[in-house]
Order: sequence, then structure tokens, then C-alpha cells
Amino acid sequence: VKLSHKTNLLAAVTILAIAVALPWIFPSRYVVGQMTIMLIWVIVASQWNLVFGVAGIFSLAHLTVFGVGAYVTAILGLYLSFPAWAAVLVAAVAGVAVSTLIGWACLRLQGAYVALLTLAIAQAIYLLIITDTACIRMSGVTCDTLTGGARGLARFGDFGFRDWLPRSIQHVGNYYVVVIAASLALGFAYALLHSPLGLAFRALRDNRLYAMGRGVDRFRAQLIVFAASALFTAIAGGLYAVHLQVVGSNILTLPVLLFVLSMMIVGGSGTFWGPLVGAAVLMLADEGLKDYAEWRQMGLGLILIAAVMLFPRGIAGSFGAWLASRRT
Amino acid sequence: LETLVQIVVSGLTLSAMYAAGSLSLSLLWGSLGVLNMAHGAVLTVCGYLAYLAIVGLGLPPIAAVGATLFAGGVLGAAIYFCIIDWMRNRGNFETNVIIATVGLAMVLENAILAGFGAYPIRQDIGISGSVVFAGVNIPIQNIVILATSMVLMAATAAYMQFTRAGRAIRAVAQSRDAAQLMGVPVRRVFANVFMLSGVLAAASGIMLSLVTTLSPTMGYDPMLKAFIVCVIAGLGSIRGALIAALLMGLLEASIQFLIGVRFGFPVLLILVIITLIWRPYGLFGTARVARL
Repeated sequence: VKLSHKTNLLAAVTILAIAVALPWIFPSRYVVGQMTIMLIWVIVASQWNLVFGVAGIFSLAHLTVFGVGAYVTAILGLYLSFPAWAAVLVAAVAGVAVSTLIGWACLRLQGAYVALLTLAIAQAIYLLIITDTACIRMSGVTCDTLTGGARGLARFGDFGFRDWLPRSIQHVGNYYVVVIAASLALGFAYALLHSPLGLAFRALRDNRLYAMGRGVDRFRAQLIVFAASALFTAIAGGLYAVHLQVVGSNILTLPVLLFVLSMMIVGGSGTFWGPLVGAAVLMLADEGLKDYAEWRQMGLGLILIAAVMLFPRGIAGSFGAWLASRRT
Repeated sequence: LETLVQIVVSGLTLSAMYAAGSLSLSLLWGSLGVLNMAHGAVLTVCGYLAYLAIVGLGLPPIAAVGATLFAGGVLGAAIYFCIIDWMRNRGNFETNVIIATVGLAMVLENAILAGFGAYPIRQDIGISGSVVFAGVNIPIQNIVILATSMVLMAATAAYMQFTRAGRAIRAVAQSRDAAQLMGVPVRRVFANVFMLSGVLAAASGIMLSLVTTLSPTMGYDPMLKAFIVCVIAGLGSIRGALIAALLMGLLEASIQFLIGVRFGFPVLLILVIITLIWRPYGLFGTARVARL
């Protein structure tokens, strides 16, 4: 079922209003912090959804683009003293470049082959980072490596809200930056989804040969979706680095990949609202499992299996189907 | 010459591991179109099961290996009936299976983590001793691994070629609907293939635990390597997998020796990507006929 632009806009404005008001309703530092993280995942999931759900390319290297964003931001801040704002913007460009390269390497393949190759690329980059021991600078007696190796990077500067916001509401600064980024990212996804390019992506997903027969250039269209989806993903990576003030190789591991994948699947891949709904549900589930740290990953795995088995269209997809059945 | 022999020996051992690992994946993909992302976790579980059978139950090594192979088969069948069977006749089968098995991998890995802890454990069986060839020590264990995976490959190929069940599997692989119409019990064939791949995974899990130590994530890297072998061979081609595994193992050993251990995997990957740009369906794979 297709909601009209008006309905979608209304929903978007309502959600945005809630997001803007939230820090004043729940002023707790913890809640606002978790909401910031959630919105970062919303950005990543919504952009991944463009590749996976809309264009139907099973890329597992999306978190690698996120990692590139985070690492480039940290490296520029730490070694070249870039201000955080500028570092995030450069990181966005780097993310687009890396994603285009990955797309170019993988797009001759299809289906499961793409999943395998992107996963292998992601793992190769992860391995290169954790085994990084070449010094590029000595600070005292310790050796600093470019990517921080297994230790990760820290102390690379923030947006500076500490200097000009009163102490009691400092944590709100990062939150609003991420709210703005998430709104832009979702707006971007929506615009792309309803543009002629979005139609081409969906046509290629639903019937590749027919779409190509009608003159859609598959390679070009799918390369564009790789590049386009990387922009806000890399920005999200940069924001994540600046918000947490630490970047580690853990963001490139399977559990994180699984977490964001679950958001997309549980929410409903291929739908516009799916990633947002999924991120909210998964963050809540994660919050609930917090006291059982040992079982957290297992719980996520079970949620993912159950979601695929019981409602493969996700919450948003099933809701859409329910709406459609009522209308007729 | 000594370094050359050294490279060849370690390369062949790597090849053997890759071949055994990719056999199970290749079988699942080639006949059912199932990409099993939980393969690495199954390897890990079987490695630990063998450990448990020897240390916990005090079984002699041969019996423990037998028990683990059996358990691997049961695990494969369980995966099929609990998860895969549910989505067999629904849309997006290929994608859904990948997602569900990623989740399963996480569940199994964390079950091991909860049961045994994160610290590496040494597998209790091991074959000591070595022979000297051209001035290089070759551990007998490596030779056993090489021989075992050769036997596994030959046995699988023979099973597919000459038995009734093997014929049924090949029929389903060619056309699931036609096989069903001809009276092939497709559901039983699926379960059969999953069981077989479970047994093969158990065998490679035990071999893997001999050369490394047991840890909850020990299956992940070998799984990726096995994936790459399958991709370069063309998913589903067993003969191709053997040749690709051989090439990959030797190449990786040489790269590790020439450039450094750290770059073994990345350089290999770049070579793979170049190969795939040249031959998108792998060296031995054939394009699946797309149905409109």
C-alpha cells in the first residue's frame, strides 16, 4: 500500500516534533544519550535500506562505510587537528568514495555472491585495522598507529558544545546535531525513493532482466545507489565517533552488523518507515536485555530468526498490508 | 628449496582445510540455493562437541569423532526442520535464509560463549610426530588432514554420482518443481542435504580444532575463506571448489611468506575480485538461467 505524500509528511512532522521536544520531557542524560545513538542507527539503517531493501542488493559492507566515516573523522581530528565539523564532512566524501569502489568491485556479481564478497571485504578491512602496528607518530614512549589498531582511537575533539552551552544541557547539543542529520538522511532517502532513480532501483530488484530490457542501465543505477547510500552513512559514522569520543574496531564486527540488519528486517526492509520503526523496537529490546549481558547477542539472534520466519515483511510491511486489506 | 617445500606444505594444509569447509557450503548452495551463514558456527560447535566427547565423556578419540559426525548430522537436520523448512515455499527464499542463518550463527556462537567461556581451549586429540622430507619437518597431522579431506571430497562426489539419494539431490538441483512433479520427495531431499552438510561441517570442524585452538569465534575466518573458495570456483561446483581451494591455499601461503602474514587475506581478496571481474560466475560456475 502506498501512503500519500501528505500522510507521510504529517507523520514526519509529528515524529520530528516529538524528537525535538524529547530532551525537555526526559531530561536524563542517559535517555538523551541513548536516543542520540538510536538516531544514528536510524540513519545507517535507512541508508542501508536503500541498497538492500529498495535496490535489492545484498551488501554486507554497509557497516564498513559507517566505519570509514568514523575512522576518517577520528584520524583527521587526532593527527591533523581538524575541527570535528570539517572532519565529518571530509569523512562523508571518503565514505562515498569507498562505497563506490566496493560497489564497483561487487556489482558484476549478483545475489548471494554479492553478500559473500562484501562480507569478505568487510572482514579484510577489520583484520587490517586490528593488526595495524606501524607507528606513524610517537607520543612519549607509546607508539601511535594510524587506526589505533586493536585499541582504537580517542581524544580527537568534539563539536565544542562544552564551551558554549550551560553545563546542565551540554548533552543536548550532540542530540540536536544528530536529529538534524537524521531528518536530512530520511528526507534524502524519501526523495530518492520517489525519484525516477528510485523507480529504476525497484524495477531492477523486482525483475532485473525486464528492467534492463526496458533500457535501465543496471550497473550505473546500482553504482549510484552504492554511492548515494554512503553519504549519510559515513556522516553517521563521523557523528558516532564525535558523540562517543572513541572509535574502536568493534564497530566493524558481526554483532553490530547483526544489530543494524535486525533493525531493517524487523522494521520492514524496502519500506520507508521500516528502518525507523525497527531501530526503535531493537533499541527497546536491547534496553530490556541490558541486565542479561550474556544473553544479549543470543536474544538479538533469536529476534532476527523469528522476524524472518514469522513476518518477513517486517512491522511496517505487515502494517501496510493490513491497511490495504481494510481499504478494499 | 627448503622454503619452497615449506610453502607447499603449509599451502597444501590450508588448501585441505578450505576444500573441506567449502564442500559443505558448495553442496548446500549447488543443490538447494541455500547460503548457510551459520556454517562457521556449526564448525565451532562441532569442534567443542568433539572436545566434550573426549574430555567430558571420556570416549576414545575414534568414538568421539564418530559421535561428533553423528551430532553434526543431527544439527544439520535440526537447522533444516526448525528454521529453513518454514520459509522453503515462500518468496525471497535466498535472502531470508541468509538473514536467518546470520541470526543462527550469533545464537550458536553465544551459546558456546556461555557454556565454555571466551578463553581458547586446546583440543585434546592431536596426532604428534613428523616426517622429514627434503630437509623440512612435515607434521603427520598435516598429512592426515590432507588425506581426510581428499577422502571426504571423493566420498561426497561418489555419493552424488552413484546413489539413489544422490540422484534425487541432483534432480532437485536441476529443477525443484520438475523433481517434485516426478515424485521426488523434495522435503526429504532438503533434509538429507542439510544432514550431509552437517556431517561434512563436523569433519572440518574437528580438523580445524586440531590446527588451531577452540574458541567461540574459531569458525568465522575459515567460513569466510570457504566462501571465497566457493565464489571463485562458482558456487555449487564441487570439482571447481577442490581446484580453487588448492590454488587459494598455495597462493595464500606464498603471499604470507613473501609480503607478510598480515596481508595474506587482503591480497588474496584483491586477486579474487580481479578474477571475478574477469569471470563473474567464478572459474567453474555457470550462470543460472534467469526465469522471467
